[in-house]
Amino acid sequence: MTRTATPPPAPTFGARRRRVPVPHKRAIAFFVLPFGTLFALFYALPVGYAVWQSLLVVEREGTFGPAREVFGGLTQYAQVVQNGPFWASVGRVLLFGVVQVPVMLALALVFALLLDSPLLRGKRFFRLAFFVPYAVPGVVAAIMWGFLYSPRLSPFAAVTSRVDLLSADVVLWAIANVVTWVYVGYNMLIIYSSLLAIPTEVHEAARLDGAGQVRIAWSVKIPLVMPAIVLTTVFSIIGTLQLLAEPQVFRSFSSAVTSTFTPNLTVYSTSSVPNFHLAAAFSVVLAVATFVLSFTFLKLTQKKGVQ
Amino acid sequence: MRVTTAAAGVGTLTALALLVAGCSSSPDSAAPGGDAAGACEPSGGAVELTFTTWIPGIEEVVDVWNAANPDIQVTVQTGPNGNGGTYQNFFNQLRAGNAPDLGQIEYDALPNFRVQDGLTDLGACEEVMAAQDLFVDWTWDQVSFGEEGHAYAVPQDAGPMALFYRQDLFEANGIPVPTTWAEYAAAAEQVRAAGGYITNFSQSDVNQFAGLVWQAGGTWFANDGEEWSVDLAGPESTQVAEYWQDLVDRDLVSSVPPWTSEWDNAYNTGAAWTWVSAVWGANSIASGAPDTAGAWAVAPMPQWEAGDAVAGNWGGSSTAVFRGTEHPYEAAKFALWLNTSDEALTLLNQGANLYPATTAGADLPALADGVEFYGGQAIYDVFAEASTQVPAGFTWGPTMTQVYADVSDGFKGAVSGRGTLLEALEAAQESTVSTLRSQSIPVAG
Repeated sequence: MTRTATPPPAPTFGARRRRVPVPHKRAIAFFVLPFGTLFALFYALPVGYAVWQSLLVVEREGTFGPAREVFGGLTQYAQVVQNGPFWASVGRVLLFGVVQVPVMLALALVFALLLDSPLLRGKRFFRLAFFVPYAVPGVVAAIMWGFLYSPRLSPFAAVTSRVDLLSADVVLWAIANVVTWVYVGYNMLIIYSSLLAIPTEVHEAARLDGAGQVRIAWSVKIPLVMPAIVLTTVFSIIGTLQLLAEPQVFRSFSSAVTSTFTPNLTVYSTSSVPNFHLAAAFSVVLAVATFVLSFTFLKLTQKKGVQ
Repeated sequence: MRVTTAAAGVGTLTALALLVAGCSSSPDSAAPGGDAAGACEPSGGAVELTFTTWIPGIEEVVDVWNAANPDIQVTVQTGPNGNGGTYQNFFNQLRAGNAPDLGQIEYDALPNFRVQDGLTDLGACEEVMAAQDLFVDWTWDQVSFGEEGHAYAVPQDAGPMALFYRQDLFEANGIPVPTTWAEYAAAAEQVRAAGGYITNFSQSDVNQFAGLVWQAGGTWFANDGEEWSVDLAGPESTQVAEYWQDLVDRDLVSSVPPWTSEWDNAYNTGAAWTWVSAVWGANSIASGAPDTAGAWAVAPMPQWEAGDAVAGNWGGSSTAVFRGTEHPYEAAKFALWLNTSDEALTLLNQGANLYPATTAGADLPALADGVEFYGGQAIYDVFAEASTQVPAGFTWGPTMTQVYADVSDGFKGAVSGRGTLLEALEAAQESTVSTLRSQSIPVAG
């Protein structure tokens, strides 16, 4: 945000002046306007609205009295802090993320390196084949996997009737499998496109120095695509904390998925009470947690880069 | 530079928040009081109404109305994702001030909409009030909340419950059709010995359980005008919960999640032999278990005491006129026609198996016919009797979506061996009271 909002200082040669008048002010304003308008209308305004809603409480008189919304300060946030199921759901997605994100990104990286290596044939086919699941809408993917896991109707009923993949102990990892299936190809493509951007001279130099494919991948390619891996990790952290569609679909299949299984599901259930104010407070807390986690991760990786 | 940008960002957000606050507070303060019945005068001139519903085939019924009433044209809109999605939409629309004129609302959701100030009181509409006697008593109770001179919707259909059972399998195995719950448990053992399950315990559709509590004479909520009281784990609920817990513990009932293909499959393949369900369930079995056509029959619901004749109710809905409509008179007129005229009720029954909420509805010629799927049995005779045996006075609470979600979360645990059904009800009792408090709805306890 800060980066886009701050116009880069115009390069100055010769005269050293503190402030340089920005040329083409009108043109800049003109080009920023469409983005700025949409950003304000569909991003900043809803966020501001949610923050405001989260600060309200409802008052009414009588059993069917109409609701009056009054300013309640941090009342809703106190509710959030005390809400056991919400924090349990946060813990659940963190556990999910700690396991699923590394597995998914490791797979994506391996696939991307394979596609980029000269050893593999049929690259175009595999590139498309790995990416196709991402084109399947998340809800459809979840329904499909729900059937595959189903104890009696699954084509693999011989397995699923013995190991209940929808039971309380396993269902989180059953969902992790669905998410991995959907997003591996997407992350692979981001890493792969970053691999394509590495100049061929770098490969050639490594080969002339006697490095094999594995060595090139490990010592040349992976360090060079690190920014892409960091980017996909941040996306994945955000995606994990916001899990909704898959658990929502699995709710109807599995007796282990409750109405507060993930933080976003808790928000959804709360808003259908309807308790919009508490739902808004949950959302704000979730958003802040997502920002904190994403930026912590970015800071950590940036420090590493400096060293 | 960075700091100033960030500060500017915060400033913008605050300004936006205040702006939004300015917008949002006005419609709320202008909202009319809950109890005062508004005027119900004809608008004069041609009127166009919108009606959101999920009832299949209702467009044909509305076409009949539109052809006969050129001055009151009704447009049908379909809600997303069944009743749950439609309600969510209604709540959002009411908040945004663009709700349709009329909406389909089940009885259990009416208090929720009323507490959100979403319903128009039709108490001033003389034609509606004059129609009170046309309806089965308990259905009128549901829309009037037991208040004289008020009606917050027009009853549409009812869901009297009965026992659907596989007549062929019961006969082949020499098992008598249970008439009491004790006999039902005994039959469950015999069915299990024969390799089936007597039924499937509904872990996530809590409405069925509520219907069983209703039959046992319990009620989950009460409203004395001063405050609500919540009684999810009262004596009747405890009795019903312990009964089913026993069947679950002894593996005499299955616990396939309801309304899934697995569930359909259990009935279609003969893994489940009975279903204690409402009249509209006739449609669910016929469409979910087509291979079993002709093998089913319907008997009255098992009783807690031999010789009693009490039925529960599961579902049933009403046509409500939303707050903010400009044409309450015309909307009420349409709602009355839809739910009392022989013409509309017959079409609704043929299209969606709806069972009328009117007393005269039981005598509709369409309901006297035998139903092929049930071996030609005149099944509506059973439901007509059950309809008169549903106890009046069962009250729904103002946050049923939350109650269902919380009870279901607990039931899901109970059928997978974590906790019991009764513990689920006790936990939901607590969370319901705290949800009411968080909405400033006065509640005892």
